[in-house]
Amino acid sequence: MFSDRHVEIDGRRLRYREAGQGLALVHLVNADALALTPAHGLLARTFRVVALEIPDGTRDGGAVAARALTQLGLEAFNLMASATTAPAALALALQAPARVRSIVLESPAAVAPGVGDPALQARLAEITTPTLILMGTLDDATATGVGRAYQARIVGCHLAFVYAAGAAIAAERAEAFAEIVADFCERREAFVISRATTLINP
Amino acid sequence: MKVSFFETVRYLPPQALPSEWPVASGAYDPEAGARAYRDMLDRLAYVESIGFDWVSVSEHHYSPRILTPSPIVSAAFLAAHLKRATIALLGPIVPHSNPVRVAEELAMLDTMAQGRLVVGLLRGTTNEALTYDLNPAEARERTDEGMEIILRAWTEPQPFGWQGRHFQYRTISVWPRPLQQPHPPTFALGTSRESCEFAARHRLGCGVSYGPFEVMAKATRYYREQCARHGWEPKPEQILYRANMLVAETDEAAHALLRAQPGQAPFTMRAGVRDAMQTLDSRNVAGEARSPVVSGALPTTFIGSPDTVVEQVRRCRDLVGAGVLDLSLHPPGSTTLDPLTRALDLFGNKVLPRIRDI
Repeated sequence: MFSDRHVEIDGRRLRYREAGQGLALVHLVNADALALTPAHGLLARTFRVVALEIPDGTRDGGAVAARALTQLGLEAFNLMASATTAPAALALALQAPARVRSIVLESPAAVAPGVGDPALQARLAEITTPTLILMGTLDDATATGVGRAYQARIVGCHLAFVYAAGAAIAAERAEAFAEIVADFCERREAFVISRATTLINP
Repeated sequence: MKVSFFETVRYLPPQALPSEWPVASGAYDPEAGARAYRDMLDRLAYVESIGFDWVSVSEHHYSPRILTPSPIVSAAFLAAHLKRATIALLGPIVPHSNPVRVAEELAMLDTMAQGRLVVGLLRGTTNEALTYDLNPAEARERTDEGMEIILRAWTEPQPFGWQGRHFQYRTISVWPRPLQQPHPPTFALGTSRESCEFAARHRLGCGVSYGPFEVMAKATRYYREQCARHGWEPKPEQILYRANMLVAETDEAAHALLRAQPGQAPFTMRAGVRDAMQTLDSRNVAGEARSPVVSGALPTTFIGSPDTVVEQVRRCRDLVGAGVLDLSLHPPGSTTLDPLTRALDLFGNKVLPRIRDI
């Protein structure tokens, strides 16, 4: 069960919702997206999930998020972002690489490379944090192109397609989304090594 | 009109065979099998020489009727022996397969065959689900997802993962990619609403089979409607019709051939299995429910003298819209090759030259 809380940064009140225990998984969300999906509940079985709002138009969203998370006592965490909060997540990873274990970007389509902050886009190649980009197979070709462009600019970045999902992958394919996010956050680049068993009868 | 010869490998059993599917493999005669594959090459050299555009192969299991359980092996073998004909691999059964492996092998084959490959992807006939213990209730979903993986494996420029319903891969990046770009001409095979919609959404061809022209026309009409909805119009060669043809010197002789054929499939499933499969295997033509074919003989829609058959081909083109006919000229499972040889001669001399412009 997620609890509603808030944190004060420079006199500004940022809401967040939290559930679970274990490794921290921070999801940077828009203010209007603080209503969570079933995927968050699934992830909270394994992780301490903190969904932190980054209101639209927040300048320097990465730094704001970093200070908020420090106040929450989160020194190291996995970081997830959806669509328009992707720049804040990437900026945070550039500013504090030691704090960010992994990055997951869900359909980072609204802030295409070359469209968003040019300074940030220019620094994408500096990101060393293991990064996973998730795109839905029902998303349009333009959005898919953006996912590929991120993958090409971030060294070692993984791109995965979630079948039969559009842009709102966590809402549309909650189990599939939670499985791959959890696996990546737990094992990072080693998540490419399958642990699934094919043993039927020992 | 393009014409394809459906090669089934004519296995002539030295003794009577069991009639139940799966057919006991102890009844297989290795020498007869080797002879069947040798004769296939001679036949296909002739097929190529009389002007067939394609030679097609399919995937069927546990039976001597169509001796090509691995269509990719068949197609590779034929590509190495035939010089001109396009190799139409109409059927890796997608739900049985590892779709990444299929994408790799087809890309490899297209490259080795110097771009002479045409591909058809399908769900498979009802009994085939038993071959590799596939749950028939999941076959449709596995087909759609598998086909999507194959197409994406051929076209994605960078390594990618796949988080599916029935398939999961963390990394896919196939080498070689197909010679034909972005991929070989590809058909979604089947009359179902789902198959037609998939083909239209991905700008693939549509392949239908065996049913009467009017019924197949429902599927191809629906396919064209869906293509229009997605903003494109298929070319005639993107509609393929696989059919049985019995051609003889006269209409009477052709109908006598039909009467001599058995009224049911040569190898049938045990009744209890067949009935259970029918409850699990839902099929449709453009959304209209139909029963799966599990024991009946497949209809013969082209039958008669050369003049009659030419007119039937014209009617098929008008109704079904097919620009490619994939023909079985005498039903597989015959105990002699003579009728097939006679049919090939007659078709090559008196039908094929007259249907080119249809």
